[in-house]
Formats: sequence, C-alpha cells, structure tokens
Amino acid sequence: MSIAVDSGRTSGAEDPAAAAGLVKPLAVAIEARRNPEARRDIVATCIVVVLLLAAMEITSRFVPDYIMPSPVAVWNAARELFFSDPYHVAVTLVRLTISVAIAMVTGVLIGLAMGMFPSVRPYLKAIVVIDTGIPALSWMLIAVFWFKNPESRIFFILLVILLPFYALNVYEGVRALPKELVDMIESFRPSRWQVLRYLILPHIVAYIFLTTKSVIGYAIRMVIFAELVASAVGIGARMNLAQSTFRIDHVLAWTFFLVILNLLLQAFVNGLEKISLKWRAEATVR
Amino acid sequence: MTEENLIEVRDVKKMFGAYLAVDNLSMDVRRGEIVVLLGQTGAGKSTVLNLIMGTTCPDSGRIRVAGFDPFASFKALKGRLSVSFQTDRLLPWRTAVENVELGLLILGKSRSQARARAKEWLARVRLDGADDKYVHELSGGMRQRVSLARALAIDPEIVFLDESFSQLDHVTSKALRRDFLQIAREFQKTCLLITHRIDDALEMADRALVLSSPAKVALEVRISDEARSNPRKIADLHAQIASAMGGEAPAEH
Repeated sequence: MSIAVDSGRTSGAEDPAAAAGLVKPLAVAIEARRNPEARRDIVATCIVVVLLLAAMEITSRFVPDYIMPSPVAVWNAARELFFSDPYHVAVTLVRLTISVAIAMVTGVLIGLAMGMFPSVRPYLKAIVVIDTGIPALSWMLIAVFWFKNPESRIFFILLVILLPFYALNVYEGVRALPKELVDMIESFRPSRWQVLRYLILPHIVAYIFLTTKSVIGYAIRMVIFAELVASAVGIGARMNLAQSTFRIDHVLAWTFFLVILNLLLQAFVNGLEKISLKWRAEATVR
Repeated sequence: MTEENLIEVRDVKKMFGAYLAVDNLSMDVRRGEIVVLLGQTGAGKSTVLNLIMGTTCPDSGRIRVAGFDPFASFKALKGRLSVSFQTDRLLPWRTAVENVELGLLILGKSRSQARARAKEWLARVRLDGADDKYVHELSGGMRQRVSLARALAIDPEIVFLDESFSQLDHVTSKALRRDFLQIAREFQKTCLLITHRIDDALEMADRALVLSSPAKVALEVRISDEARSNPRKIADLHAQIASAMGGEAPAEH
C-alpha cells in the first residue's frame, strides 16, 4: 500500500473552469470533477434515488394516497410548501445555526479547559460523560418542565445534546498535540495565552470541523424533534401539522427539504473546512 | 559565574527513577564560543540540553545560563536563547515566513516588525521566494533552514542545536552547516551543538566535549582553524574523540 500526497489544490491556469472565470460550483461538485471516486459516489447516489422514486411510484399504485403518495404528488407538495412556508424553513435554520454555534463555543471552551487545566479536568470530564449518558428524550421532557419559552427549550435541548461531542473531541485534539511542537513553542518561553493562540487553537480547528460535520445531521433531527414537541413554528411544527391533517405528501416533502438542507449544510461546512485547512496536504490511499 | 561564561554547569546529577542519566557533570560555554557536545546514542546529551534549557530540573548541582537558574527562572531567559531541533518542528498551518515569525510574535514584536525580520532571515538562510509556502511544500533541507531561521530570528544570545543536521543527506547537511557557521560567526552567537557525528564537531566547534554514559565529560578538545586545515591533525582528533566515545567511531554520512 502506498500513500500519495496530493495538495488537493490546482491553480487557475490548470483549471479550465476557473480560467474561464466561471463561478465555482459546490465543493462536492469540484471534488467530483477532480476525483473519480467522488464521481462514482454521486452516480451511485443518483441511482439509489431513482430506484427509491420508482419503488414509491409502484407502491403508490397499490395503496391509498394517505399511505404512500406518488413522487409527483410529493413534488407538487414540495413546490407548494416552498412558496408558502419559507418562513418555517428560515426559523428552523436560524434555530439550528444558533444552537450549533452556542454548543460549539461552549463545548470548545469546556474541551480546552479539560485539556489545559488538569485540576478541573476530572470534574468537567465527569459532567460531560454523564451528559452523554442522558437520552435526548429525557432532555426534551426536562426542557418542557424547566422552560416556558419554546425558543429556550429548543436551544437548551440542542446545547446539552451537542455540547459533549465538541467538548470530548476538542479535549482529544488537545491531547493529540505532538509533544515535539509543545516543546518547540515552550523553548520560546511563551505565556499560556500565546500557547493557546499559536499552537492549540490552530491545531483543534480540524477537530471542530470534524465534529461539526458529524453532528449536523443529528442536530437537524434533534431540532425537528424539539420543534415537534415544543414549538408552533418551524419545520418540525409543520410536520406535526401535516401528520395531524393526514398530509403524508407534506410529511415526505418536508423530509425531502430536510435531506436537501443537510446536504447544503454539509457542503457549506466542507467548503469552510477547505478554506480553513488549506495548509493541509491530503493523503490518498491507493 | 565568571563574566565570560554564558553557560555554567557544576556537578550536576540527574536520575530518572533508578537510572542515572547525568553524573556530576561540569562544563562551561564562553560567550561567542561554539561548543559541540558529542556522545553515543543514550549518553544523555539531550538530557543535558534539557537541563541547560531549564525544561528539566537537576537533582543536584548548579546550572547558570546568562546568570540565571534556567529552571527556577524559566521566563527570565525569554528571548535570550533558542533551539533548533533534530526535526524541523514547524507548525504545518503556518507558511515558512509565518513559522519564522513565531518566536518574534511571542517576544511581543508587532506583526509588521516580525514579518520584516522573518523575511530577512529567510533570505539569510537562502530561502527567499519560499515565504508563502506551506510546510508540506518544502523539502527536508528547506524545512530545516526555516527551523534555523526561526531560532536565529529572535536574535538570541545562545543558540542550541540538537542534532539539527543529522537527519539530512550529506550534501544538504554540509551546506547547512556551512551557512550556520557563517551566520554564527558573523553575529557572534554562543552555540551549543549536540551531535553524535564527529565530523560535525571537527568542522564547526571551537571546543568539543565528549560525553561518556552516564553523561560526564570524558574528553575535552580544542579545535583551532589551524588544526582544521591540517588533515593529519584532524585525523588524530577524530581518533581521540572516537576512542573517548566508546572505541569505534560511529558511521559518518
């Protein structure tokens, strides 16, 4: 097995699209053009989607509409919701963004404290580990008891659920700092703040992105679930309404939007990651 | 401590558990002098360096670096000494010039001052044009040059080189040694080089201290420019040092 190092970046002169001044497509599409494996993944995904749509179409011919609508009916519902309910999508997106941001900042601070202050490490570690053991449903019920405001409930639920992911991964990031680099920077006799600024923070950026990419899908599911039980606006609330009015076409249309939202957010984070970690040579195992 | 001695080590002992790493070591390095600490692998060279740098505390004895106890007064030596390690130890997320800036920023220089000085030092180590390259875009020799520039850019009184040339190929290592020597002489730096390669010592040192294991000075030799230009004298010194290091000379590259 050989490992080839590929910087993953090409100059504008080497890239005809960039040279022609074309707007760069999404990071996934760029990757697909350069990497045959990524192209194969996209083709496979398209095939699976077509097969699912075919299965939906066939099933819809044998069962009532409220069990399985046809793909065309779902598409029409999606178009209808796209124009009638953008407010709910925006609300969910804002809640998601703020919650993930708060969980990220809090989790990173806790992870850094765990990594940098041995005296508080066992206590913080115990809190985080206990938090990971509490089911999401328990937090949702607790939030309903503790908070009246639906927004507070949703932010609280997402914070306590996502925080341990960031805290533990950042802690692992600090632990994984190469001792050689620590000794190197220590040889300049820096302050603790300088070690944090010049060594630890840049090192943990990769861990923050990794965590964010890992939790996006989970965070979307949690925010929808929280909206379903604790709010009158947002995609979760609209899905609740669709369920109570037997509009399975709306439920499936919202599901379609959520999948798209997840893909867009993943692409956005991937793009940010590529910019932030442009220094990193990517290894390809052949 | 005399005014002349920038590094003074007196009867220093260091144990790791039951293992004696440094045994009543005494040595001095005078201002402007280039001293090479030679020893076989496991002789305790790096432990001695850590003790002098203040990252390890001696069990007994006394160490003074520029008049300070390097362990007890760790921060007092900020900006007065720097190290170039065996591996480059560059920060991969910083470009070549940003890596050179690191020590300067830690010393509190402004970003523009640090950038100007870093560029100047990159040029001095023959890396002008590589300013904006990331670490993975540089060859091993170029990385080691950046590492040297980073150590020298803060204008330290004392420069430590911990096997800095030992992982490079013969040609690159020789070129880098020559460049370093020229810079060290030009700026009158006090240097302590750690190495297991006798050739490095014979080429660069004013004085070579050969360590036996556990670390103790087994042999001290002065190497003058006159001796360096005499192949016979160099061969004699080589044999003496090799014998003090344990009989056989380690393979030179």
